[in-house]
Amino acid sequence: MFKKTIYIYLFLSVINAQEKIPDMPIKLLDGSNTRLYEFLKDGPVIIDFWATWCAPCKKLMKHLNKFHTHFSDNGLKVLAISTDTPRSMGKVKSYIRSKNYEFFVAVDPNQQVMKKLKAELMPTTIIVDREGMVLYRHQGYYPGDENKILKQITDYYNALDIDYKPYQTTTL
Amino acid sequence: MKNRNSIFLFLILTFLYSDDFNVSSSIKSGYCSSYDFYDFSENLLDVNLFSNNVFAWMQYEYSNPPEIGFPLNDVRKFRIEYSAAGLSLKAGDIYEFWGRGLLLNQFDDQVTNFDNGTRGLFFEYNKGPLILSHLNGHSDIWLMGQDARIPGYNNKHNMMATRIHYDWNKVSLGLTQLKSNEIHEKALNINPTAILNHNLRGTYLSFISDNVDMFFEYVDKISAEKVDGFDINPNDTLKRGHGVYGNFNIYLGSWALSTEYKRYAFDASHTDFTADDYGNRINFQQMPTVAKEHNDALLGRLVHNYNYNDERGIQFEINGSMGSLSLLAQYAHLSRNHTWQDTARNNWVSKPIDNYLPGSDPSSLPYVENYFETSGYSFNDRLYFKIGLGNNKEVLKTNWFFNGEQRDVSSYYVYDTTYNEYDYYEDFPIIDSSEFFDTTQYYQVESKMWQESKAFTIPMEFNYSMNNGYTIGVGFQYQERNFYDRLKGNSSGYNTSDSAWVMENPYGDTEYFDLKTSKLRNRDYDDVDMQINRILYLSISHAPKWSLTITHDWTNAYDGPIPNDPYYNPLEALLYGDFQYFLGKRNSVAPPAWVQNRWVSAEFSYNITPSQRLSVMYGSIQGGLFCSNGICRVIPPFNDGIKLSYSASF
Repeated sequence: MFKKTIYIYLFLSVINAQEKIPDMPIKLLDGSNTRLYEFLKDGPVIIDFWATWCAPCKKLMKHLNKFHTHFSDNGLKVLAISTDTPRSMGKVKSYIRSKNYEFFVAVDPNQQVMKKLKAELMPTTIIVDREGMVLYRHQGYYPGDENKILKQITDYYNALDIDYKPYQTTTL
Repeated sequence: MKNRNSIFLFLILTFLYSDDFNVSSSIKSGYCSSYDFYDFSENLLDVNLFSNNVFAWMQYEYSNPPEIGFPLNDVRKFRIEYSAAGLSLKAGDIYEFWGRGLLLNQFDDQVTNFDNGTRGLFFEYNKGPLILSHLNGHSDIWLMGQDARIPGYNNKHNMMATRIHYDWNKVSLGLTQLKSNEIHEKALNINPTAILNHNLRGTYLSFISDNVDMFFEYVDKISAEKVDGFDINPNDTLKRGHGVYGNFNIYLGSWALSTEYKRYAFDASHTDFTADDYGNRINFQQMPTVAKEHNDALLGRLVHNYNYNDERGIQFEINGSMGSLSLLAQYAHLSRNHTWQDTARNNWVSKPIDNYLPGSDPSSLPYVENYFETSGYSFNDRLYFKIGLGNNKEVLKTNWFFNGEQRDVSSYYVYDTTYNEYDYYEDFPIIDSSEFFDTTQYYQVESKMWQESKAFTIPMEFNYSMNNGYTIGVGFQYQERNFYDRLKGNSSGYNTSDSAWVMENPYGDTEYFDLKTSKLRNRDYDDVDMQINRILYLSISHAPKWSLTITHDWTNAYDGPIPNDPYYNPLEALLYGDFQYFLGKRNSVAPPAWVQNRWVSAEFSYNITPSQRLSVMYGSIQGGLFCSNGICRVIPPFNDGIKLSYSASF
């Protein structure tokens, strides 16, 4: 009986080809509390799970910040969710401020948001549309992966016939 | 089991008939086989279900054996949540954290097999500035014993915790309490299981603004052991401790200064020994370390063994940018809360460190680290570089530590064996001890012995990205490390049969020792003054599909058991030109010397789809924190093995 239950879960997982993320409360780095769906009101959101000790995550964040500023007129937001535990939480804001990053930063010290969004590896990048549907999901970071993320964003705007400023990249 | 199945079936039906039903799942699998019997096969399936305000999560595990932990073929974790209009209810496996974790910080870390979650109920009212939270349930926390992979003992808690949190503009204030009745199995099962009661009360205060952030948390802990017997007052077993943590950050432009202070004083013990005592902090208390979490393998291997029961420390970290250059400078100094002194061998007396800062006396086990790093991009952002410099110095333990006076009792009696006038005692000589000479003298003795470790490390990394999507990378880490016994004083040790410190000539010109004896040995069991560790890795990747990394890790000395590595792998043979290896002449009885201090591995990662990743690693790994192909994780050592890992989200 129990195995059948598992199979039903699996079956349902497969048939639901497009994944929707759940709404959930999140805590931002400025101390305020909000909900994940609040970020979806103006346009798509790039959710990025990172930590201060994760070197590849930091390499990706530089590009995410550029996307956040470049496409802000088109409603794009980047939400970088720090999975630093309370043991290293004190350094999260220092790192962000030293880089002058302008994207939104949330904290998830016991990785509960990370688990609900099924981020298995660090970094994990998820692009979500205004309805909360997952457009793209990527695990890890190789230099050049930012181009794939950029393509997903531009494809999204192209599909909806939304004008946007062309983005210049060095390696695209 | 039957009840649990029914619950899940009910949940599925409930969700299926709801308006907005969503399901998603993820799979994480790992498989390893190596010649030194380090094998595992573990599979985790996570399923998320949500509909409107209801969220359900289940994790199913099939592992036999897992990398760390017990074999399992069952539902490992589950939780159902409801949240609406400021109300949140959770039932199942709960993970919460309050403040910075001095009272409650729950997480499930499968890399270290640490899980201090609570199976129970959680209620939270969150309306306006006020948050009321309550958690109630049972935690069964398994801890690692002697075996590196199978947990050795557990602590069972029936716990309840409550929090009141209030936000007022930029200031937040929280009051917390946690009570637990614990069945405390002792480490290594040497001592009998204890039945304990813990009562923790805490408070935290935070201030967040644009240019300054402050955080302060204090927790007080009282623990008592259940005692049997009429003449024992339960209050005799009371143990009280406290913990303090503070964090003060300043931001100026693109520069940030982060300062941290900690003082954890729950239960003290001398040297590196931590008594498995009920006065210890409990496993729900997972607080800040106040030192750096490194992401370089060699620095990661030097991680200080934090003592959350008895440690204080400060840390400063400056982060900043100058153009495209990022700079980081960090300093941390930790120590125990007391200095310790032997009054006799193995009879330790403590003295609190006078001020609030960490101590430098070796008996307080100081740990000092600093790290500098510069990183950035050049050549139109094509070249990424990072160069660091790390220094660590640590007193790991004190074997003995005496500095004081010793009494040399050399008095003796002169016996008068003449017969006296009493016939009755004729046959018995009377000892007249009225005459004696006392030559008792006092002299100064200093006898201190401790273990000390010092290291400096230079990690560097360069990546160059090309137009065609390829990136080539090279990384090199170099480390010099000393690890020695330090003997200081005019006595070379303690003689237990004489109950005295040993001195060559206590009254004359005595020799004063200040010796360092290296504890490092090479493969021939010769003493080595300095351990030199090096890691070289070369990588090539093509975004967003694949990446290949070859890692060469080598050392010249060991501070513990010297590993025997007869199972050198083809990569190692190829690298060192042992072509006989490929002709079936692998010498596993007496392998060549060059292979013994080296670990060579290759890892290939392939993104099958953006949400599916397959990784294959072949070779030998020394172990420690390892960053490769964009992922960082802690890897235990193994020889000539293969590891497969697969992760997918649906």
